[in-house]
Amino acid sequence: MSEPKTPCNCASNGDMNRRNFLRTSGVLATGIAALAASLAPLRELSDFSSTEEFLQKHYKELSKDDMEKVLARITREVEKQYGVRPHVRDYKPMDGVEFVYCLNLTRCIGCRKCVHACVAENNQSREPEIQYIRVLKMPHGSMEMEKGDHNYAPDQVPEKGFFYMPVQCQQCKNAPCVKVCPTKATWTEPDGITVIDYDWCIGCRYCEAACPYFARRFNWTKPKIPKDRLNPNMSYLGNRPRKQGVMEKCHFCIQRTRAGRYPACLEVCPAGARKFGNILDPESEVSYIMRTKRVFIQLKEELGTSPRFFYYFDV
Amino acid sequence: MDRNKTNLVLAGVALAFLALVFVFGRDLPGRAIAQTPPIPLVDLKFVDPAPTRVSIAENLRKGGDPSDYDCYVCHERNKPIKLNINTNGDIVVPSEHKDIVMAHGGHKRNDNCFNCHDENNLDQLQTRDGRHVKLTERSPLSTPQLCGSCHGPTYRDWEAGVHGRTSGYWNRSMGDISRLSCVSCHNPHSPKFQGREPAPGPHRLHPAAQAPAPASEGKVE
Repeated sequence: MSEPKTPCNCASNGDMNRRNFLRTSGVLATGIAALAASLAPLRELSDFSSTEEFLQKHYKELSKDDMEKVLARITREVEKQYGVRPHVRDYKPMDGVEFVYCLNLTRCIGCRKCVHACVAENNQSREPEIQYIRVLKMPHGSMEMEKGDHNYAPDQVPEKGFFYMPVQCQQCKNAPCVKVCPTKATWTEPDGITVIDYDWCIGCRYCEAACPYFARRFNWTKPKIPKDRLNPNMSYLGNRPRKQGVMEKCHFCIQRTRAGRYPACLEVCPAGARKFGNILDPESEVSYIMRTKRVFIQLKEELGTSPRFFYYFDV
Repeated sequence: MDRNKTNLVLAGVALAFLALVFVFGRDLPGRAIAQTPPIPLVDLKFVDPAPTRVSIAENLRKGGDPSDYDCYVCHERNKPIKLNINTNGDIVVPSEHKDIVMAHGGHKRNDNCFNCHDENNLDQLQTRDGRHVKLTERSPLSTPQLCGSCHGPTYRDWEAGVHGRTSGYWNRSMGDISRLSCVSCHNPHSPKFQGREPAPGPHRLHPAAQAPAPASEGKVE
């Protein structure tokens, strides 16, 4: 190969002959093709976010017209993705309403029906699995969360010597998750529901770390929901399908409760352990419980989060 | 010589990219996920909000045949029932009524048929203060009054919507609340709420770790 009459062939491009050209371009072409192929997984991100969504304003800055456009976009996107035409609305809080949830630990039998009714109502991902409610099996006479077991699988519940404690978002008055959110994508609404704007969330998971109740869930991958299990009654801040990389959590079934109905977990509870209502209405069930029942537990009360979710015992 | 070196480096880079193509082509990162078995969809019975029992009143409201509950098809009118009591003092349930499990209260104070049934009119029930309720009464409000004549505090809670199941609307101005009567959940002869099969728990990423935890210790998450 060496040609002594050429003083230097290192940096000179002048002596490009056919053989060198073919060799270099062959290597280059292979390299570029390989690079392109190795970046192929990035192509799957193309449906990650639309320009319209990218330019969308914060929920609180959206005018009525803006919101209509946003809801139309969500309807379009859900229909394209699932082939089901959803009914997406933006439910607003009612005046003079503050929601409170009461759960009777004496009645709960630990059947986990609430968990799955919640998944069905709120379009949580089935694969990977996302659930808002965790039911802890706790030994009698203890409120130590460390003794809780959420993987119990006996033939029959309740088991002797245990009580069951479902834990979900406690809708705190002094919510740590709201304080840590760097983008203000989560906030507490006037009716007491802490909501998430899924289009504003950047997925930093600070809120997940801040929550003392393990109430927040992160969409690590694109959520999968079978078409026939999709609940078409959706709300912007509630159960519209989420995308990869955002947080979600219990929102007291905002699409039901702001329309005056009970949450899904309450309606499915076979033991009637779950009670929900407006604490500002003295006639409501929750007001009755606050007045007459004996023991209230705000979970991890000492943290000062002041939950709107109360546990109580009865006879 | 340097050109050869450059070519070598270029070839090396190209090879590295080719290796990447090979990795992505085989979808190795994806394959690790695919190896875990798919999470089965939950049985729809676990999201069904139907009550645990069908009471007589509900059965009749849904078009059930009231003659199913006619006691005098078998029993004779104006003929007192003779209870068969064994040596322990327990009532022996006749074979015609063998579906009845006598377990109303664990203390054997309320295992007498005629605490609730009217011995003179078998198609009626009687409250503790002597009021009568027809067995085939369709109104869901009749049974709570009967049960409430003994279970006062529970009746009070039920009236307030706090004992038992509710569905419908918490906001009464927007819609109706639907209530259930006592016997939609409790069997009057053995009212203790029955245990049931729990719905599947949270799926584990590593099934190998699914060894059963010692029940007495509890399992730390």
